[in-house]
Amino acid sequence: MSFRWDLVWSSMPMLLQGARLTVQLTAIAVFFGVIIGTIAGIARLSKGPQKYIAAVYIDFIRGTPLLVQTFIVFYGLPGIIGQPIPAYTAAVLALSINSGAYVAEIVRAGIQAIDKGQTEAALSLGMTSAQTMRYIILPQAFRQILPPLGNEFIALLKDSSLVSVIALEELVRKGQIIIGRTFRPFEVWLAVALIYLVMTFSVSRIVDFLEKRVKNGV
Amino acid sequence: MVSRQPMIEVRNLYKRFGNLEVLKGVSLSVGRGEVVVVIGPSGSGKSTLLRCLNYLETPDSGQIFLDGVEVDPKRNLRQVRQEMGMVFQSFNLFPHMKVLDNITLAPQKVRGTDKESAEKLALELLAKVGLADKAHSYPGELSGGQRQRVAIARALAMQPQVMLFDEPTSALDPEMIGEVLEVMKKLALEGSTMIVVTHEMGFAREVGDRVVFMDDGHIIEEGPPREVFSNPKQARTREFLSKIL
Repeated sequence: MSFRWDLVWSSMPMLLQGARLTVQLTAIAVFFGVIIGTIAGIARLSKGPQKYIAAVYIDFIRGTPLLVQTFIVFYGLPGIIGQPIPAYTAAVLALSINSGAYVAEIVRAGIQAIDKGQTEAALSLGMTSAQTMRYIILPQAFRQILPPLGNEFIALLKDSSLVSVIALEELVRKGQIIIGRTFRPFEVWLAVALIYLVMTFSVSRIVDFLEKRVKNGV
Repeated sequence: MVSRQPMIEVRNLYKRFGNLEVLKGVSLSVGRGEVVVVIGPSGSGKSTLLRCLNYLETPDSGQIFLDGVEVDPKRNLRQVRQEMGMVFQSFNLFPHMKVLDNITLAPQKVRGTDKESAEKLALELLAKVGLADKAHSYPGELSGGQRQRVAIARALAMQPQVMLFDEPTSALDPEMIGEVLEVMKKLALEGSTMIVVTHEMGFAREVGDRVVFMDDGHIIEEGPPREVFSNPKQARTREFLSKIL
């Protein structure tokens, strides 16, 4: 048997449909992940009880597999709240919460990298801690953490394949479906891999571009 | 020059970092419009004293009064900080903002000044420090001397009652020191109340109303520059001055 290029091409439309969902899930999870991560990252550096809540959250998420977290949200949570959670919602929830923990560590490192003199200057002008964080520290921290944040987005794009286990028809799940019909795993998985490659490559180019633009701006 | 009530009064200030006692009971009074220059060897506590005034360092004990009101971090710290402009050795300009925004941010966010008035004042202050043409530059595009002059303008924009200078020329290349001292001299002549920690003895002699010599967490000697420099009473002052003059 030889390699069948025609199968790679003919499965593309359906795979791209799945890729669309992958991109959508990742984009939404990145959005919420950055919000959750920023809050958790700041909390991690604060004094007071929220510091420990943030630490437990970050350690729990980073110390357990995303697959298990997805199961907890999709199969476990409905039993607690008394109603089923749609696969799409569960996936967004699991990915966002997961990403938030990794972003929190990136944000924490970014904040810590900003010179202490910046905070002192802002406070000496009479600004509150919150104003200092918002106008002085975070804008500088986000410029610095753009590269690791980009890497996190790429990781999330790939990790989103795990939500195929809750029957969400993203890219990997679509591949499985096609293989079920064609019995040609090599061609189909290769096609899936190529699509992931194009997506991750595009994201890294976009991050590079943003990084350069930010550098020129300062 | 000096009115009845001191602008700043420090009573018996103590501060330690771990096992190191940096301030060992410092008392100091600064009159309205007075320029006090604090000198002394490295590690003598002069910067710590300055940083305790606006609570960038929290003193262990002692009292600080601004215009007769005791500084209390729980009650009035932010108000006090607005009245004490601070200039740092390392400038600490906000690198992600243009010069103009560096200066207008705090007046807008802290004082509630509208954008237009804040910018008008900022441009006046930039003209005063000789940098009217740099309003739209980023700090990274300026020389050290220019950055420090912007930092002075930024502190002045809050229209503080006192200006604190923490070794403002120590991080500068020698050829840029003069331009910064010139601006500070101008402020002094306009009647600003200033406390200046510096190693620039020429400035202390020429601009200071009073020189305070600190060593090992104590104020050893203070007096008019002429007296302290030409006729120091304490042995430690003499020793210090003989090394640097």
